[in-house]
Amino acid sequence: MVPHLVDLMLLSLLLLIPFSGALGLLLWPTTQSSERIRIGAIVILAVQCVASFALLLPFDPTDAALQLVEQARWVHSIGLDYALAVDGLSLPLVLMNAVLCLVAAVASRSIDNRPRIYFALLLVISGAVNGAFLSQNLLLFFLFYELELIPLWLLIAVWGGANRSYAATKFLIVTAVSGMLILGAFLGLAFVTGTMDFSLRPILSGELGLKAQFLLMGALLIGFGIKIPLFPFHTWLPDAHTEASTPVSVLLAGVLLKLGTYGLLRFCLGLFPEAWQLAAPWLAAWAAISVLYGSLAAIAQTDMKRMVAYSSVGHMGYVLLAAAAATPLGLMGALFQMISHGLISGVLFLLVGVVYARTGTRDLNVLRGLLNPERGLPLTGSLMIIGVMASAGIPGMAGFISEFLIFRGSLQPFPVATLLSMVGSGLTAVYFLLLVNRAFFGRLAIAPGEVANPRILDPVALREQVPAIALSLGVLALGLAPELLSNLSEAATTGLSQLSGGLS
Amino acid sequence: MTTTMKPITPPVLPDQEELIKRLLSDTPLLADTQDHLVQVVNVLETYGIVLDAYSKNLVDQGEKQLLNPFPIFRFFHEGLTPKRLWDHLLGDRINFEYAEYCQKAMFWHGTGGLDAYLDSEPFQDVCQRIIQRKAQRDPLLALTNKLYPGFAPESIRSLTTIYCLGLFWRVMSDLFVDLARRYAIKEVTCVNDVVHHIRDGLVAAAANPITYEVDVAGEKIWVLPPEAGLTFLVDVAVPYVEAVFFRGMPFLGTVSYNAQARQISPDISDFKYGALYADPIPSMGAGIPPSLCMKDMFRHLPEELGRWYDDHGRGQVDVHVQICVSFQKSMFCVTNGAIAGTMPHALDTTNADEQAANRAYAEAWSGRLMGCQRGALL
Amino acid sequence: MLVSLPWAAGLFRRVAHRPAAYLNILLTLLAFVHGSLILQEVFQSGPVDLSYPWLTVADLELDISFSLSLTNLVALELITGLSLFSQVYSLGYMDKEWALARFFALLGFFEGAMSGVVLSDSLFQSYFLLEMLTLSTYLLVGFWYAQPLVITAARDAFLTKRVGDVLLLMGVVALCSFAGGMGFNDLYAWAATDSLSPLAATLLGLGLIAGPMGKCAQFPMHLWLDEAMEGPNPASILRNSVVVTCGAIVLLKVMPILQHSPVALTVLLVIGSISAIGGSLVALAQVDIKRTLSYSTTAHLGLVFIAIALQIPVLALLLLFSHAVSKALLSMSIGGVIAATNCQDITELGGLGSRMPATTTSFIIGGAGLVAFLPLGGFLAFAQSIELLSVRSIPFMAVFLITNALTALGLVRVFRHVFLGDALIKSRRAAEVNWQMALPMVALSVVVLLTPVLLVRLESLDGLLAFPLWAAGLVVGSGLIGLLAGALIPLSKAWSRSLNPVLRWFQDLLAYDFYTERFYRLTIVNVVGAFSRLAAWFDRNVVDGVLHGVARLSLQSAEGLKLSVSGQSQSYVLTVLVAIVLFLTAVSWFLT
Repeated sequence: MVPHLVDLMLLSLLLLIPFSGALGLLLWPTTQSSERIRIGAIVILAVQCVASFALLLPFDPTDAALQLVEQARWVHSIGLDYALAVDGLSLPLVLMNAVLCLVAAVASRSIDNRPRIYFALLLVISGAVNGAFLSQNLLLFFLFYELELIPLWLLIAVWGGANRSYAATKFLIVTAVSGMLILGAFLGLAFVTGTMDFSLRPILSGELGLKAQFLLMGALLIGFGIKIPLFPFHTWLPDAHTEASTPVSVLLAGVLLKLGTYGLLRFCLGLFPEAWQLAAPWLAAWAAISVLYGSLAAIAQTDMKRMVAYSSVGHMGYVLLAAAAATPLGLMGALFQMISHGLISGVLFLLVGVVYARTGTRDLNVLRGLLNPERGLPLTGSLMIIGVMASAGIPGMAGFISEFLIFRGSLQPFPVATLLSMVGSGLTAVYFLLLVNRAFFGRLAIAPGEVANPRILDPVALREQVPAIALSLGVLALGLAPELLSNLSEAATTGLSQLSGGLS
Repeated sequence: MTTTMKPITPPVLPDQEELIKRLLSDTPLLADTQDHLVQVVNVLETYGIVLDAYSKNLVDQGEKQLLNPFPIFRFFHEGLTPKRLWDHLLGDRINFEYAEYCQKAMFWHGTGGLDAYLDSEPFQDVCQRIIQRKAQRDPLLALTNKLYPGFAPESIRSLTTIYCLGLFWRVMSDLFVDLARRYAIKEVTCVNDVVHHIRDGLVAAAANPITYEVDVAGEKIWVLPPEAGLTFLVDVAVPYVEAVFFRGMPFLGTVSYNAQARQISPDISDFKYGALYADPIPSMGAGIPPSLCMKDMFRHLPEELGRWYDDHGRGQVDVHVQICVSFQKSMFCVTNGAIAGTMPHALDTTNADEQAANRAYAEAWSGRLMGCQRGALL
Repeated sequence: MLVSLPWAAGLFRRVAHRPAAYLNILLTLLAFVHGSLILQEVFQSGPVDLSYPWLTVADLELDISFSLSLTNLVALELITGLSLFSQVYSLGYMDKEWALARFFALLGFFEGAMSGVVLSDSLFQSYFLLEMLTLSTYLLVGFWYAQPLVITAARDAFLTKRVGDVLLLMGVVALCSFAGGMGFNDLYAWAATDSLSPLAATLLGLGLIAGPMGKCAQFPMHLWLDEAMEGPNPASILRNSVVVTCGAIVLLKVMPILQHSPVALTVLLVIGSISAIGGSLVALAQVDIKRTLSYSTTAHLGLVFIAIALQIPVLALLLLFSHAVSKALLSMSIGGVIAATNCQDITELGGLGSRMPATTTSFIIGGAGLVAFLPLGGFLAFAQSIELLSVRSIPFMAVFLITNALTALGLVRVFRHVFLGDALIKSRRAAEVNWQMALPMVALSVVVLLTPVLLVRLESLDGLLAFPLWAAGLVVGSGLIGLLAGALIPLSKAWSRSLNPVLRWFQDLLAYDFYTERFYRLTIVNVVGAFSRLAAWFDRNVVDGVLHGVARLSLQSAEGLKLSVSGQSQSYVLTVLVAIVLFLTAVSWFLT
């Protein structure tokens, strides 16, 4: 029903809009105020959002194959072709990317230091992530994967906190290593199979010997494991989050970590089903360790942002668990977890950002009683309670349904690992309750030595909270009506699971 | 590591010697600044309006709600109309529940002459007369009285306290509204004038008799007869100040009532939960009854004070907390006036014995004030 | 056919304060009336099942399903009825409360979740709503969030229940995997036919028990109910009466599945007995009024657990019903005492009996209803239980009787402290409570008095009175023993502990609730805390250390290599080529 012409261009449009938007912003005269530039970026990202949601129209949820394919030869001699397609796995991620980038732009107020470059970098990241999720050529994926590296490094290094150079450099080096490993694996795949064809073909690895498969898959696992992040490759994340500004944190946690998990599903599971099946028990154990480690480390934190960062480590472990089980239900749960984690951590980082902006501190040993209705941050506190409960897996919100699907899908293949991960889920409540109890309950206190008369905080305008409110509504909606997502992706996840022989 | 703001050094509070000096030298306890004058006079003006409403209601309750088991319409002393009922249900009204809270504090602490009279023989006799007369027409009351003989007299005592509180607030309301009038015509120009105004008003009303006559099924009975000799200042005002300003009742929202935690002292004369001790920051949170009063005062807030609040604190966002802070300061002024009014001898006396008596009196009061929120005095 | 659901009793935000309260009460009333209409219809025409599809993914099918059976609807009426009373009561108790809207919103949420739990026909849905109940408990207990003890209380309530819920989730997920469907009828069918390994069955059973154990405050997860008494009294009323009922009803519904795990049943019996006797003993040593009631709730729910474990559902339901109404009434009466005297310490109170008719009468009636006083509901329940138990197992009969006696003792003790005796400072001037509190109290007293009549309407008269005289005698006897003991023990108003060291140790043990809190702190809390500190240390020093080591190495080698920079592009190209050749050779060598 949609015209064929438009059909062809829709995916490329999703790349064109942000990249050309970035270029356009860079070319804008410097006399424009930062607010104007921000509005410009918001408009561009809103258009991207509309275009992303417009993908839903021609998309057929019952078809497990790739849809809306666009292909063009590029640098065919080294195997780099321009091939984009979308399926039930990548479509929700593309939608989430659009929404979170828009949220990040809206939340980027008062960027007085080089606003043009800031928003241009934001748009570049948005486009690069779109490209990574949509690409069907291994080298193209790698190209977009690396493309988001430098902008993010710049965003942390220039607009970050006090210790930003250390965090940014750590991030850069670690992610670059991950990129190298991925590239090495892809090159190795091409070298060993003797073909230069880099198009994504799931049966690619069937021709390889087992040792080759393990080597290549291992490299990919470590590479993506750094990005997801999994223990013990995770230490860059807390530092990066702590030093990055709020919108950058939202992007980092919400979208960029999903590059890792997407890569895991698409390339490890998708390209090496045989090896994956054999390695699955180890992977499940690794997932359980990562979940428990992240949750336990989070309990000991006193910086709110660091605590949320470690909770990301814990929550992303669930995805590995579900992927290891590779049952249809489990993979659906993995996708749910990716989306819900993106939304929930978006909410949490936005709110922590508000607290930091108003009080100047994120230290849980100092902050108290922020729920005070007149002198505190009551709306922030209420939204924080919602976000925290969603992360802990309280039903009615997205976190619960994703965790339930994952556990249900992974229990029979790996009972012990699943039970341990459930313990990790319980631990989530422990540290987040610590956060809420200390920072929001009690009598108002903002800085030591001010017990009698806490300083006056600037009030928080309602429009500043709009992104957090919108994301919270999304969390609730997904929790109460999960078919919205499952209908979209069921065919794709079932197909993916059957690929690995289906461990259900 | 994550903090970017520097801590502020805490302010220096006046010590006991300073307080005694102020009490004996006709200097107000509250620092005499223009800001304080604006806050205190305007807050007292709105408080006076609120007290006016409270007083009328409590007096009306005393007259009409004797031994009424279902006083559903006790807040409608101005008459029951559909519009008033609708406003009442919507919450668009003065919160008389706070008046009842103050009364409960006064009743429960039970100090002073009024309380002593409530235990006396003549009062018991009057209670029995009232009960007998009402029980003739009300079988439920007769039955309850037989099974629970202490119920009706206690209820009458409670209502008596309500009525007396209403009389007390009548005087205070008139006093505060008069203060606002004088401020408007520039007769009151500093905090000291405010204290003097309150002192003179209290002294003038000191000997006002407190009597209570009630109509029981056609027969008029004196519950507090003139012969009892109860007067305004000594028997009602001082117990009120003691119960509401100093002792108070612990807030459910900030203190735990858990018996094992022993956070509340078993000796109620040791309570430090009154208006002078209260912490204004948690206002409008849960479990803080004075929030109701802050809301009432907000409804009648004078414009001058509203503008002043816009420029301080968080503007309109935390106006109730600001009202609470101003209110606490004004209560210090009222206490100041009460102390000044009840000083044993004139402050400018030259007699050494009288000076010593004054000093002892000031020491006693300042000792009590040391535990209060002295930060409000700065 | 009546379809709409009598829940969702309103979640109004802080638009205006008092109207939110009135609207909530109105909706609860509607729910109650609606429920009773459905009850009448089901009474005549039999149970009805409703089901709406919710989520269908792969091989998982989750529905929103309700079973409108007689039992469920009676429980629903109990919940909405007691919620109605409690909400009117809170208009009186909390009339000086500013944040009424939030309070009533939470009460509405509470009521909605409970209604859903009792009506639900699917284990998944029951779990869903039980967790929401945990959340609303946290928010309700933490209502006065500025109070320091409330903060710890809310946290402990949430975490204890969460532990139970996570274990229950493990059971639910396992059942979902094994059985396929989540509807109770499907699960019963599966349980009857399928056979699991004993270990799996045991673990499953334990998981299924854990959730209700947490909700019903059974030992060892009972600490939270004690701490939850920091919350407002109307919430405590509901918590003591209907929340625990909900938990027990969920346990009832999974009972057929538990049958296959004898270990789980034994655990239930043990826990129930310990809670029953331990709870009543600890209640004897409490000085805070609210805690005396909360521990006796633990005790009675222990009896219910025993009944469920012994596969006598009708007994469990009888006990739950009579307990819920009586306990609610007792809680209301105690709330009246607290409101009038600003005090919760029974050693500081006295002589209130003659001055507060509604409160005193409520306490007496509520207490009578609880301890099997002839001829109220509790009596019928207990007499039935003795008769049924005498057939199955004598030891548990003894547990029931002992608990009854101890409860009577405890109640009489509290009554003597608070209502009899001389008035102390804090209770010298205490007027009767306002009408919004008195009215529900009186109404609920009437309900408690009429409980036998209500029970008779649900079951036949013969069925209820079918117990021999000796059973009745035993029950009355145990009650009388407790009464006499309570009347005769010396009461001391001071906090003196006995000089006899043995007795003192015993007193302390009970007063501090078998040191459960300290036990938790030393074991679970310390262990988790230690592990978390270890993880954080490990992270900072070892993992990061490795990373920094690599960085240092690379820097040093870079410094070394720096010296080899010749500035000629040929040498760079050569280096790169050599590296690539080496790399590819290594890879192919590995792979061949």
